Amino acid sequence: MEANSAKKRKSVWNTIVAQHELIIMSVPLLLYKILFSYVPIAGWAMAFQDYKPSIRSFWKQKWVGFDNFVNLFTGLNGERFLRDLKNTLGQSFLTLLLGYIGAISLALLLNEVKNTTFKKIVQNITYMPHFLSWVIVTGLVSTMLAIPTSGGIINDVLIRLGLIDEPIMFLSEPKYFWWIVAFSNLWKEMGWNTIIYLAAMTSIDPTLYEAAVIDGANRYQKMWHITLPGIKSTIVVLLIMNIGHLLEAGFEIQYFLGNGLVVEKAEIIDIFVLKYGIQMGNYSLATAAGIFKTFVSIILISIANFIADRLGEEKLI
Amino acid sequence: MKRFVSLLLVTLLVLSLTACNTASKQDTAATTPNNQTATENGGTEQKSGLPVLSPDNPVTISVWTMTNYSAPSADNKLSKLLKERLGVTINYEIIPPENADQKIGVLLAGGEYADLMGTTDLNIRLIKGGALIPLDDYLTEDKANLLYEHVKPYWNRLATDAGDGERHIYVLPNYNRYYGEIVGGTHYGASGFWIQKHVLEELGYPSLENMTLERYFQMIEEYMKKYPTIDGMPTIGFELLCAPGREWVLTNPPQYLAGHPNNGGVVVDENNVATIFADKEIAKRYYKFLNQMNAKGLIDKESFTQTNDQYLAKLATGRVLGMYDQRWAFGQAYDSLVAEGKYERTWVPTMPVYEGCTPYYADREVMNINQGYGISVSCKNPDIVVSFLNTMMSEEWQKLFNWGIEGEDYYVDENGRFYRTPEQREQQNDLVWRNKNKLEALYDNMPKIQGTYSDGNADSPGNQPEEFFDSLSDYDKNFLTSYGKKTWREFLNQPPENPIYYPCWNITLPEDAQVVSQQLTDLALQYLPKIIMADPSEFETLWAQYVSEINKVDVKVYEDAINAGIQERIKNWGN
Repeated sequence: MEANSAKKRKSVWNTIVAQHELIIMSVPLLLYKILFSYVPIAGWAMAFQDYKPSIRSFWKQKWVGFDNFVNLFTGLNGERFLRDLKNTLGQSFLTLLLGYIGAISLALLLNEVKNTTFKKIVQNITYMPHFLSWVIVTGLVSTMLAIPTSGGIINDVLIRLGLIDEPIMFLSEPKYFWWIVAFSNLWKEMGWNTIIYLAAMTSIDPTLYEAAVIDGANRYQKMWHITLPGIKSTIVVLLIMNIGHLLEAGFEIQYFLGNGLVVEKAEIIDIFVLKYGIQMGNYSLATAAGIFKTFVSIILISIANFIADRLGEEKLI
Repeated sequence: MKRFVSLLLVTLLVLSLTACNTASKQDTAATTPNNQTATENGGTEQKSGLPVLSPDNPVTISVWTMTNYSAPSADNKLSKLLKERLGVTINYEIIPPENADQKIGVLLAGGEYADLMGTTDLNIRLIKGGALIPLDDYLTEDKANLLYEHVKPYWNRLATDAGDGERHIYVLPNYNRYYGEIVGGTHYGASGFWIQKHVLEELGYPSLENMTLERYFQMIEEYMKKYPTIDGMPTIGFELLCAPGREWVLTNPPQYLAGHPNNGGVVVDENNVATIFADKEIAKRYYKFLNQMNAKGLIDKESFTQTNDQYLAKLATGRVLGMYDQRWAFGQAYDSLVAEGKYERTWVPTMPVYEGCTPYYADREVMNINQGYGISVSCKNPDIVVSFLNTMMSEEWQKLFNWGIEGEDYYVDENGRFYRTPEQREQQNDLVWRNKNKLEALYDNMPKIQGTYSDGNADSPGNQPEEFFDSLSDYDKNFLTSYGKKTWREFLNQPPENPIYYPCWNITLPEDAQVVSQQLTDLALQYLPKIIMADPSEFETLWAQYVSEINKVDVKVYEDAINAGIQERIKNWGN
């Protein structure tokens, strides 16, 4: 027994010695992770304090227990927070859905294009918007959705096509807002998101396609029965990762395009935190909301992971 | 968000650490010789007992300031003068007021500040957050004598409790501390329903006395019928705005219409009791009227989705016939119209009221409290910054800021009166020229000599009566003559003496009341645009919804806080 464990220790030590370069290389990354992801968690204590920046010392702050969380979920704040939670999830879900459908369809289509030059051009054009900052994108979106005299090209086109008589005020109707968020995201990120799927598609064994052709499969059948199953694990892994980010519905787009008229559909948790937390100097409330968000994200990701496991797919955790 | 905040905090921390390292190095380098000079001279050279600023000891002062003005160009004339005469270099960080709220929030969380902090924040978060140092020790006859002079008569009003139960002066008031006689032509605080001059000209200069909302909009409607486009673009009848920080454009008018002065969100009765008016009849009437005007197509459809910048850009096209606003807030648009020579497209204020009410649009200029420059706790050598501000308060520098350099920007006639030549006036209208030759961004929050200098000249050209009239364009001269008036100010009422507590909008609210106030503003922003844009048949339903939402808010907390503020002012300011 003793000899056995000594042997084990030795083998661990041997592994360490053998892989020492790898270990040394990973140290900076580990430190980075600890410094930027774990150390700031200490700040969570703020959520249980009545934090006042004028009291410079952290330890002299007043501890208030769960007051900030109670405040977050009750009364008018609570109504607002729950509404914003709904908006966050709704916008995020719609963005995710459209983003997935868009990126996967585009990748499938591009994969079928045999002319490399054309394929490259399309790819470049579609992923260019990814490099634009959201400030610029929201500027473009708000101009495009404005009335024709202010440069609203969408209204202009719709009117000229005879589809509508009066310009639609897209940015003042709450019902459009989620879609505006989703489509802006789609426009900006679709091309970029195809890259990973295209990469996954190149790893599919070409003999599968040849066999399918011999079996008499047409182009659509090849896409459905070979390409899609071939990238299935990529899709699932990305889905799990993205579900963890469901509560991150963006920030800039709601901040720049939201206004009083659409607030009921536009305001998301991050904006709530900015308005009622940071702007009013209520850092504790902001932190409490942040903790809640992290908490929900962990639950969501566990659920997705569990489902993926049940489906017999790759697990992330 | 958590991740966003923590990342932000860490980044800020790292940045501020590096920034403060470099800053402190500079400071020590700059200040040591300064102190030496002071001791070598036995501190007797300047009466103020503060370090002397001189080009031999260059210093850099960082300025963080909330202002609508843009940073001066690199080759700015006055910046050069500051460098040559005092050895002062200024680093600007300019915060447009609409971005100030979150900037302050992040700044306080970071705890690192510029030397000089120019704030116009009514919630005094910088003071309460411990960002500013008390200036009381400097404000004495033998230290910052000129600044002392500036605040001495108003000590009780200016002293503020930062939360530690002691009252100190943290911020030097930026506007409306008057010296000498108050003279003037342009009244920047002017609040009103503005109407384009060309509308009035076209209608044969109708009398503006006893104005009502009905008549105001009738003039706009008539003009719009006649001129559906201006310069090829559709004419806009009435413009509204509900951008962050400028919500009052939407919420303030009912109190004016009912004959009250601007107290922010409340009206105060004769017993000095304040109540909110957002859900009252006077408000309903105004928004109902706007709703009808919207149905007639007189209100810009894009009013509620535009930002403040877009609003100003739209005003600057000259196709907006009317809006409710305060003169300072749309100054940029006004100036750019003047720069293009489109005088007829600028506006004059009118004062519509409900029947039986007397207009109280203009108030006696109230000194700003807790708005202006303060010195931050991060400032390594407050003595130097105080000395700088004190020097800036001298008549010599005030004249440089307002009038410019004698012989270059203005002349003095044989009677000692300042005047400008037509060319000098012309260049003042050029925004690029101003950026090169004036320091408006720095001066905006600076304590000022307003009124008249000791030689009897007015603080600035716009307030020198003869200079004001001479500098008017022919169009404006003719316009004023047609109305039998000499200044723009005469378009407003003669303000009675202000009540002691006035104005309520700058009462500092405790946190819970701030939250309620924010909730009320949010409701106004959510419902009022809807109410105004709705089909007139839906008005009553929407209004009822709005009122019932207001009833859910704990309005009493807000009203109590305002009333407590009123009572405290009556007690402390009475003398």
